[in-house]
Amino acid sequence: MACARGDRQALQQLYQRESRYLLGVALRIVRQRQQAEDVLHDAFISIWQRAETFNPARGEGRGWIYSVVRNAALNMVRSGARQVDVSEDAAEAIDDQAALAAYATAADPFELRADLGRLEGCLGGLEPARRDCILYAYVEGCSHGEIAERLQTPLGTVKAWIQRGMRALRECMA
Amino acid sequence: MSSGTASSGFGNFEDIDALAGEYVLGTLSANARAAVEARMRDEPALRDAVQAWEARLLPLASLAPPADPSPALWSRIERTLGSVAAAAAAAPKAGQPARASGFASWWNNLQLWRGLAAGGFAAAALMVAVLVTRPAPTPQYMVVLVAPQDKSPGWVIQTTSSRQLSLVPLGTIEVPPQKTLQFWTKADQWRGPVSLGLVKQGQTLRIPIDKLPPLEPNQLFELTLEPENGSPIDRPTGPIQFIGRAVKVL
Repeated sequence: MACARGDRQALQQLYQRESRYLLGVALRIVRQRQQAEDVLHDAFISIWQRAETFNPARGEGRGWIYSVVRNAALNMVRSGARQVDVSEDAAEAIDDQAALAAYATAADPFELRADLGRLEGCLGGLEPARRDCILYAYVEGCSHGEIAERLQTPLGTVKAWIQRGMRALRECMA
Repeated sequence: MSSGTASSGFGNFEDIDALAGEYVLGTLSANARAAVEARMRDEPALRDAVQAWEARLLPLASLAPPADPSPALWSRIERTLGSVAAAAAAAPKAGQPARASGFASWWNNLQLWRGLAAGGFAAAALMVAVLVTRPAPTPQYMVVLVAPQDKSPGWVIQTTSSRQLSLVPLGTIEVPPQKTLQFWTKADQWRGPVSLGLVKQGQTLRIPIDKLPPLEPNQLFELTLEPENGSPIDRPTGPIQFIGRAVKVL
């Protein structure tokens, strides 16, 4: 990566090229524009500081940058900046049967319109409920509790769906 | 065994791959996330598992609709980069030259040093970075917190907008297990320090300014090492890890 050489201009080019996509990723997770811009600010400082230790052999530069932004956004929401968590107990108490019935009638919240390559096939192979848990978590930054609330599904079920879904994804993409 | 103690908090994960997967997915709690990040530094297997999951799931990032940042964001990033580079240049142990030119002018600015010396508190430990490129519309304060022993800069405090104060880490700070860094401030006339909260490792701490008394020149800021949940009393109990004083930037 060009900014591994400490080139400020390269960082700016990177910003110009990627910032609207990176801000989109952050915004979906933290939900508030000012906070999303804070995330992007912190992430670019971090990218600049860590660029010299960044090893392109370990992974694609672009992917690393997205990880820096996602981690900054997730750290922000997990440390309580986004106060929408339902308590785990409350989520656990949601009635199983009613929950599943409600879920079955809900519209599919994710359209897999982007080109996701091999991942798309593997996601498509998952049961829709497991797939949606994974997407709610990755794209929207939802915690287990938030997903349970959205899907009106007990927390334990959500956790199990995610664990099994992730295992299936890993096997599918191996 | 660092891995043994670190994993005790989330014993549900039978294998590190499942743990890495949920870390990347984002479903772990703040504490579990911090523990994974700490373990990754010493455990190449966990690091590799995290990177593999990042690569697997990366295409999902394209599902988020793009959003254009406000025009001011890039200048804000540049401003912070300026102060970070200045802090790095100011570190006595850092033998590297400043990344950008133009820092000599602020470094030689006598007024700054006078402001520092007036503090009377370990003036040698204080290093202040100033943004010379962009005059701020309202008075802003700038503080660099340095380690008392080797004077290496560890954090920058900025009033990045008129509404909030940010404590920005300049690098990775190691905190012993079951310990946390607590952020304190004390102005000259105050009777004692006031806690500004606990610092999450590697993260920027943001504090709404309207919850604080107005910042004053020379106001002291410090990070002390405290028990995991913070100091049990209303003042610092552990050793100072980083310290600095506020300087007004015009």
